[in-house]
Amino acid sequence: MKSYDRIAAIFFLAVGGFFSLYARRVKIGTWNEPEAGFLPFWGGLLLVGMSVFLLLSTFKAPDSPVRMTFFPVAGAWKRVLVTFLSLAAYNLLLNRLGFTLTTFLFLGFLVRFIFPQGWRRTLLVAFIGSVIARLLFINFLETQLPIGILGF
Amino acid sequence: MDLLNHIALGAQIVLQPMNLLFCFLGVLMGTLVGVLPGLGPTAAIALLLPNTFQVPPVTAIIMLAGIYYGAMYGGSTTSILVNIPGEASSVITCLDGHQMALKGRAGPALGMAAFGSFIAGTVAVIGLMLVAPPLAKFALAFGPPEYFSLMLLGIIILIYLASGSILKALMMFVFGLLLSTIGMDNISGTKRLTFGILELSDGVGLIPAIMGLFGVAEVISNVEMEMKRDLVTTKVRNLLPNLRDWKDSFWPVIRGSVLGFFFGVLPGPAPVISAFSSYAIEKRISKHPEKFGTGVIEGVAGPEAANNAATGGAFIPLFTLGIPVNSVIAILLGAFMIHGIQPGPMIISKYPDLFWGTIISMYLGNAMLLVLNLPLIGLWVQVLKVPYPVLFPFILLFCLIGVYSLNFSQVEIGLMIVFGIIGYLGRKFQFELAPLVLAIVIGPMMESNLRLSLVISQGNPMIFIEHPISAVFIFVTFFLLVSSLIPGIGKRRRKLRETVETECV
Repeated sequence: MKSYDRIAAIFFLAVGGFFSLYARRVKIGTWNEPEAGFLPFWGGLLLVGMSVFLLLSTFKAPDSPVRMTFFPVAGAWKRVLVTFLSLAAYNLLLNRLGFTLTTFLFLGFLVRFIFPQGWRRTLLVAFIGSVIARLLFINFLETQLPIGILGF
Repeated sequence: MDLLNHIALGAQIVLQPMNLLFCFLGVLMGTLVGVLPGLGPTAAIALLLPNTFQVPPVTAIIMLAGIYYGAMYGGSTTSILVNIPGEASSVITCLDGHQMALKGRAGPALGMAAFGSFIAGTVAVIGLMLVAPPLAKFALAFGPPEYFSLMLLGIIILIYLASGSILKALMMFVFGLLLSTIGMDNISGTKRLTFGILELSDGVGLIPAIMGLFGVAEVISNVEMEMKRDLVTTKVRNLLPNLRDWKDSFWPVIRGSVLGFFFGVLPGPAPVISAFSSYAIEKRISKHPEKFGTGVIEGVAGPEAANNAATGGAFIPLFTLGIPVNSVIAILLGAFMIHGIQPGPMIISKYPDLFWGTIISMYLGNAMLLVLNLPLIGLWVQVLKVPYPVLFPFILLFCLIGVYSLNFSQVEIGLMIVFGIIGYLGRKFQFELAPLVLAIVIGPMMESNLRLSLVISQGNPMIFIEHPISAVFIFVTFFLLVSSLIPGIGKRRRKLRETVETECV
């Protein structure tokens, strides 16, 4: 746990420092007349201070006797990474391929490759899911979702 | 007499067909969300919020509120049948509820959870009607210093009651405050940290943040852990509790309702705390405490009443002060603002239809839940049988569509993914997410009130002490912060939390 806290402390130190430095580009103002940079500056400094405190505390206190692994379940990191990447891929493909096709590919990919299901189930879920989603969001709710290169 | 007129106004609004329909949809979806582990009311409200833009604000809030208390109801179903809590507040129901199911008494357990929740919901609605209007009048005396110090107090109480490290919760709060500064400054119009991206001019956006932190992150955490379920497959019979069940449950329900309502007003995970506290109290005063954990109906009735009453109590600070006490109410506050309703003590007088309409809808919604949930238990059991590997892609799809349909922007989907990563890592590194969400929602208000206060006082921070109401809030805030740092008191806080948790287990 201490190593996690150290990593987090360094992250927040960087975030706080970034906001404090950035705030100088917009006006910080004074206590009489606080400007747009006032809260980012002082908030950033406060975060830096707390991060330093957290970092120092990790060197003082004894670590927990229980060693924590980041991915306690074997192979879990692949599922996590692939799921995040599939979200990013959906975002990139949505406007190009259109809502229906992208949804079909997205559902099919996740059903097939995260907790592998058979091809029949995968294709059935992906097909029914994308059709229902299209009917619900585009036809019924008239949400302006992209049509894409294939025209549907 | 006034109260009766207001109730009549509320009834007139709720009984309009569209509002009745949306109330029904809200409680139905809330129950479904509560039944499905891995999707909480926070994510559900965030998912459905974009779909409310076409309807009047009253209708939208009625539906979204229905999702909240509906989810508390639904959470008990999975706790009893599957031994997996649908919601965090239903964790304690697993102890005796599932044991009752294993003994063939799932029906009375589910039935008493439903009736207890209905009674508690009624108590909470009555409390809300009686307490909110006078509190709102009191809050009219608040100015910028009072608002700032009250919001600060609210956050500090939330952090104080957090289960993890106070320092880490504070860091998440400040991080959220900093994120809330992204976009155009409300006072000067200066753009901050937008990097030329048009979508960031309005800030990071509440919906992408909530969807990412609670929707995407929750699903990814479940995907990592390979959720397994232990479903009670025997037919659920005899949903109506017998006389003996009523006799054993009556006082736990009443005690749980009152306890939950008052806890609900406090910032923090009130449904969870009130459910645990109710269980601990019932166990302590019971003539047979050794039977708790083996399948006693008091262990279901009290906590379920408490968590439902807490949802009602949580609306008091929202309607009277415009302050959210947890992440669900924070999203409702966001919904108010999106629909053009300025939160604060003027809501009750400026939008009486909204206030009284929502209150009466809560009573009606609780009645709908009672009628819905008992006959629909069979349907919820079928829903629970949908394998998670098939279910989770649809949850992610809803998140994606919900965010994209806001402004048809790929940048906002990207923001949702970033917040999903933050939420996932936050869980791993044991950083609470509620302070982050609250800070994103109330950050702009806090900043405005802080800057206005300093302008009024010409830079003198003592303004927060010179105003008596603000001074009280600041004193309590300071006391809570300092007390958690003092070793003796800090240890007692941890011990108190551990005692409540182990008494229950």
